[in-house]
Amino acid sequence: MLEFKDVSLTYPNGHQGLKNINLKINDGEFVVVVGMSGAGKSTLIRSINRLVTPTSGELLIDDENILKYKENNLRKLRTKTGMIFQQHNLVKRMSVLRNTLSGRLGHMGTLRSLLGMFPQDDVNLAMSNLNRVGIGEKAYTRADQLSGGQQQRVSIARVLTQKPKVILADEPVASLDPPTAHKVMSDLKRISREDNLTTLVNLHFIDMAQEFADRIIGLRDGEVVFDGPVSEVSDKTFEEIYGRPIKEDDLLGGDED
Amino acid sequence: MSNDVKFPPKPKRTKLKIKLGITLAVLAALYTVALTTTGFEVRPSASSAWHTLQRIFIAPLFDADTRAAFPELVGYMLETIAIAYAGLSIAAILAIPVGFLAARNMTGNNLSYIGKGILNAIRAIPELIFAIIFVAAVGIGPYAGVLAISINSIGMLGKLYAEVIETIDMSKVEAIKASGGNRVQAMWYGVLPQVVPEFSSYAIYRFEIDVRASTVLGIVGAGGIGFPLLLATQQRNWEDVGMILYVVVIFVTIIDIVSGKIRNKLV
Repeated sequence: MLEFKDVSLTYPNGHQGLKNINLKINDGEFVVVVGMSGAGKSTLIRSINRLVTPTSGELLIDDENILKYKENNLRKLRTKTGMIFQQHNLVKRMSVLRNTLSGRLGHMGTLRSLLGMFPQDDVNLAMSNLNRVGIGEKAYTRADQLSGGQQQRVSIARVLTQKPKVILADEPVASLDPPTAHKVMSDLKRISREDNLTTLVNLHFIDMAQEFADRIIGLRDGEVVFDGPVSEVSDKTFEEIYGRPIKEDDLLGGDED
Repeated sequence: MSNDVKFPPKPKRTKLKIKLGITLAVLAALYTVALTTTGFEVRPSASSAWHTLQRIFIAPLFDADTRAAFPELVGYMLETIAIAYAGLSIAAILAIPVGFLAARNMTGNNLSYIGKGILNAIRAIPELIFAIIFVAAVGIGPYAGVLAISINSIGMLGKLYAEVIETIDMSKVEAIKASGGNRVQAMWYGVLPQVVPEFSSYAIYRFEIDVRASTVLGIVGAGGIGFPLLLATQQRNWEDVGMILYVVVIFVTIIDIVSGKIRNKLV
């Protein structure tokens, strides 16, 4: 279980990224975090793997306060929390398989990893994860030769290869075209179901949030302004979260297929 | 077209004009000082300039004795290239840690200043001075030349490597860290794949420079074709000087062409 207790984050320039956040997220939940740019979605998600560190409050994962973690514990925490980025962050000049394997780095000794001596079990795991997201045949292709959607699938495979308990996805489909965005989100949802992974996804398209989420958390100016199951969500909820009427731009569309 | 198109008031450029005036005045002063202090009068020597040029560039082609020296000179040139290659190989590798140290996004501001300071200091000292120091330290011969070349190349490559590292996409590094990788792993898997082509390209480019620099190292006893060049110039043996220059030009040109082609493929 993941629990935010009165978590706040003030950036060095004085900007308050998060204000007194209180949340409980159960194992295996698929949560979509919505809000305008600058509402604190990224900050919220990045607090969980400590890419940013909240300045007050407690953040508990399985009843341990991760805000106290130092170097060593932090590495362990990060092996358990896989992250998917908007720009997928694959190393362009490496093969797809090697990119996927880099998810194992946190589990490996430094010397072994410098020599590139990944255990056969890890290689098998990486390959089976590539097969699971449907791009197994691209294993030996260089990452920069794939399309945007394929690259994002590789980054899902890389995160799975970490064997995480939690998946954090920061605007994973924001730079994809609508049909591709749909397929990638479906893959993510299917896999998080199959492996019972707690998943937090930042999205700004409201139709997509409604389609995939079990639960929606709405942020505005660093505060939680909505938290509830997707069944309770209506257009009015989004108008409250965004603080303005819903516009065409807030919808992704393109899910005819 | 109508004539009543409205323009905003023209900006007054007084400041710009003053700056331009000052710049021109300073440049004029510098030129005057430079031209009056250097002295351009020609001191006539025993042989005319034209005659010397002819002995350097034309005579070697027709002089049988000079042509016979060609294979020996090629040998010296190969030694020169070997010095450059050995010096560069050492530098290309040693410059990597120095480059990481000097890159702001890897080590933070303070360490980066120290790293860059060291590199600037190295580059401020010419190869020939290093060669003289190393000849004194390890004795006459190509070994001193290799050391001189490698130190100087580290100075330049370290700085260029650091600049390449500073332009990489740090989000890849963040991704490795986010998956639990440590600093070293993040550098190896996040940084190196991004920079290796540029690093190699700069190293090859530096090899071109090193070959040219190595040709004069022999003048101070650090091996290579510079030694026969020194002898020939001291004896005013212009035919030999000419032949040596031909050999240098031929080899340097070939190396520049080949390395240019390789670098084109790399980046």
